[in-house]
Amino acid sequence: MDELLSLKKAFLEEIGLVSSLAELQQIRTKYSGKKGLVTARLKDLSSISPDKRPQYGKILNQIKNFIEDELKNKELALKDKEKEERLQTERIDISLPGKFTPYGREHPINQVLSEIKNIFISMGFDMEDGPEVELDYYNFEALNIPKDHPARDMQDTFYISDDIVLRTHTSPVQIRVMEKRKPPLKIIAPGKVYRCDADVSHTAMFHQVEGLMVDTDVSFSDLKGVLELFIHSLFGKDTPVRFRPSYFPFTEPSAEVDIGCIFCSGKGCRVCKTTGWIEILGAGLVNPRVFEMVGYNTDEYSGFAFGMGVERITMLKYSIDDIRLFYDNDLRFLRQF
Amino acid sequence: MRISFEWLKDFVDIRVPAEKIADGLTMAGLEVEGMEDVNGDTIFEVNVTPNRPDCLSILGIAREAAAVFGTPLKTPDTFIDEVIPDPAFKVEISDPELCGRYAGRLIEGVTVGDSPDWLKRRLEKCGIRSLNNNIVDITNYVLIELGHPLHAFDADKLSGNTIRVARAGAGRSIITLDGFERELPDEALLIWDQKSPAAIAGIMGGEESGVTTATHNIFLESACFSPVSIRRTSKKLGLRTESSYRFERGSDIEFLEVALNRAALLVKQICGGAIHEIVDVYPEKYVPKAVEISYNKVKSLLGVELRKDQVLGTLERIGIRSEDRGDTFLVYPQAFRRDICEYMDVLEEIARIYGYSNIPVRTPKTVLSGNIFNRENINVNKTKGALRKAGFTEVINYSFMNPSDLDLLSIPDNDIRRKALSIRNPLRQEDSMMRTSLAPSLINNFIHNFSRGIRDIRMFEISKIFIDKGEQLPYEGLRLGGIFYQERIPAIWKDDIQGFFIVKGALQALFEELKVSEYSFVPSEEVFLHMGKSADILLNFGKAGFIGELGPHVVETLDLKIHKPEIIIFEMDINILLSFVPGRLSYCQIPRYPSIERDIAVILDEKITSAEALNVIKNFGSEFIEKVELFDYYQGKNIPRNMKSLAFRIIYRSKERTLTDSEVESVHKRLVEYVLDKTGGGLRGQV
Repeated sequence: MDELLSLKKAFLEEIGLVSSLAELQQIRTKYSGKKGLVTARLKDLSSISPDKRPQYGKILNQIKNFIEDELKNKELALKDKEKEERLQTERIDISLPGKFTPYGREHPINQVLSEIKNIFISMGFDMEDGPEVELDYYNFEALNIPKDHPARDMQDTFYISDDIVLRTHTSPVQIRVMEKRKPPLKIIAPGKVYRCDADVSHTAMFHQVEGLMVDTDVSFSDLKGVLELFIHSLFGKDTPVRFRPSYFPFTEPSAEVDIGCIFCSGKGCRVCKTTGWIEILGAGLVNPRVFEMVGYNTDEYSGFAFGMGVERITMLKYSIDDIRLFYDNDLRFLRQF
Repeated sequence: MRISFEWLKDFVDIRVPAEKIADGLTMAGLEVEGMEDVNGDTIFEVNVTPNRPDCLSILGIAREAAAVFGTPLKTPDTFIDEVIPDPAFKVEISDPELCGRYAGRLIEGVTVGDSPDWLKRRLEKCGIRSLNNNIVDITNYVLIELGHPLHAFDADKLSGNTIRVARAGAGRSIITLDGFERELPDEALLIWDQKSPAAIAGIMGGEESGVTTATHNIFLESACFSPVSIRRTSKKLGLRTESSYRFERGSDIEFLEVALNRAALLVKQICGGAIHEIVDVYPEKYVPKAVEISYNKVKSLLGVELRKDQVLGTLERIGIRSEDRGDTFLVYPQAFRRDICEYMDVLEEIARIYGYSNIPVRTPKTVLSGNIFNRENINVNKTKGALRKAGFTEVINYSFMNPSDLDLLSIPDNDIRRKALSIRNPLRQEDSMMRTSLAPSLINNFIHNFSRGIRDIRMFEISKIFIDKGEQLPYEGLRLGGIFYQERIPAIWKDDIQGFFIVKGALQALFEELKVSEYSFVPSEEVFLHMGKSADILLNFGKAGFIGELGPHVVETLDLKIHKPEIIIFEMDINILLSFVPGRLSYCQIPRYPSIERDIAVILDEKITSAEALNVIKNFGSEFIEKVELFDYYQGKNIPRNMKSLAFRIIYRSKERTLTDSEVESVHKRLVEYVLDKTGGGLRGQV
């Protein structure tokens, strides 16, 4: 019996010194392994005299259970200690930069163009496309701008040949669509246009969005309704909008649409040339002569058209003062948007 | 056009501040773009649209202001009480279709010299330089005031006291007042004396017959010329004057007599002299063409209900005579409003004077459309998104290129990219062709950014290119192009990948995004790329584009001052790419049984490409091989010269059951033997 008690005592001493899982494993092997001290004694139980055997067996079992519990507890404690140590020692400098490739940016013109497209798509307008190198007929004649018309001066034209031009506006798409489709029509035509002109506010190529709606009973009121809704969606619903008379050969009555200057809130500044207003798009009722060119019945149908320069709107949105920045493609510029 | 407020008050009794005038004119369609204070007077800068030549004068603007502010218009008194009854000049119009009316007066005994200060000041405020020649100043004064261009000849230089209005005919030239000798187009309308041309009608007078300080007698011309003829001649000569500007927009055939008399009276007042009777040839008198429009049309097109008296009253305010006809009304435009010839013109007049701001706002009843969902747009947007995620920033370039760009890239003569359109009137020679490839612009974008110190350049563009196919209009095709450059700068996280593979990876990610799988990369034939570091991109074995390092021979010409820059460029036909995007996807069952992986590392001749080695494995033809991946590529230490090591991971799986280790082992063993046999390689570690 004493021998068993000293076994327990020896175990307790040894386990008290254990400081790692490896050491613990040695002790586990020594006492409760297949050939361990406790296991050996259990196997030798038959060598104990029968009268002492029950008592001896009971104590041996108690010691076995005790040792196993101690080993388990010690293991848990050591694992906790080890985790704690890992947490204390495994440190990264979380202030080091993360590894990533910065996403590229969408060109600001296309960002604004997408915004404009989405507003019109939400109002049920289709998107249409047309050639950038265009017949004089579609770019001018069919839009009521015959050769020798002074309105051709409004648009300095690049010529490929006598009859072929780089389109000066996206309006020819109107004609191409009306030739193919019958009313009702609600379309926008975004795209590149060209004029031979270059300074801080003009580039030889820029982007326009043209719009057209044709149906029975379309009036100037509808034009105002659609464009006000558009401007309020793009610039905020408190933006003042005004329509004033202007002239385009393919619309009549024609209008320029101004918004209250977003820089000075209409008080007058350099951007709005002290007028408090900024011109944002041109519009008007489709000139019946244009309908006649595409064979629409002018007694039955009426419509409106509008057009806007995307560069101008983008410049206003981001306070950009030189249009040429859009085409320098300087990454320090493009990465700001 | 510059309009003096003080001068304007000669014609309209208006007492509102200048800002109000500016606003009123702007809202009536005469946009005041700016205002300037000149010695206490306000100058309005008015933008007059091409349809309103009647507003290119003080009187014209006054007429509009009077309508807007409801004040009466004062017309100038031009009654000449003392005339010498004999016109003393004969006028003959040979081309009446080009000249509707020609009037003039001889004034004898003038003194040509400096103009009085008041006249000079008014001219200068409106942007006209006084010329130390009171006769010329007076014609300019009347031009600004009344809008009708006049011309004064030295009457003694006109032979035969005769004026003939006729075309130039072949081979004529004239020295104009500005001292240039000008070859005249055959069709140009001229003013002739008995012998020779004295002026280019409506554009500029001849030097010979011009008024100088030596002039004593003048012949004042006031005529009406065909706008188209003036415009054509002016364009052909490249000669634009205040006079041609007005004539090509249309002049007032009725009013020209008033302008003539106004000028004659001013001459008499300032330069002295005696005015002769008018000579006036006016073959076909102006009769207004009535325009009819229904009240209902006004209502339905403007979206506002106006009473009859409102409609007719509005027209009356701008001096347009109208007549009620029950459901419709007739409008008789005066000669100064020849722009009004159809019902929409009348409608516009009503709308602008009624006020656009008074027309109500209405949201139209709408039609639904089936064309909004545009697959091409969606896929183009996906393409842009995939490239942006790979770090590429979008650029937009002009559609132009320099003719020398194609030579710089050594594009062969028979290449389709040589079929470029030329612009007849480019702004610069560098921008004189429509681009047939995005590459030259992208290279310029690279140079721009590189030369400004930017060392991580990833840019892409999606734009049209233009190919002359010999048809009327060129082929316009959408291209995707990009350029990449990254300096190997010390970086905290090592990532030493060759640029080619970064860009190829971006394109592969794009193909994955679009679910295009039939792509491959084969050695490129593009001569501007580095032969050993470039590929053509094939989609289903057809060429869709290229990717590669710019060849050293091209880089050399860019003058970049860096040694061996690794610039990667690519370009693809996006229409071809999008044609491979599957229209419909169908789901594949997720594998039910586990897979077993085995690796194979072979050392083989470096000339065998990884794609060829991969194909060997794919051609082995075991139904259990699900996937083969290259996971290691190595050349260098421990590998013999001219050899390389490739390691593949093979994933074995059956669709019907769980494979056993021994089963896979036997297949893999045969595969290894097959690969070694086909490639002539050896297993790594055994060579």
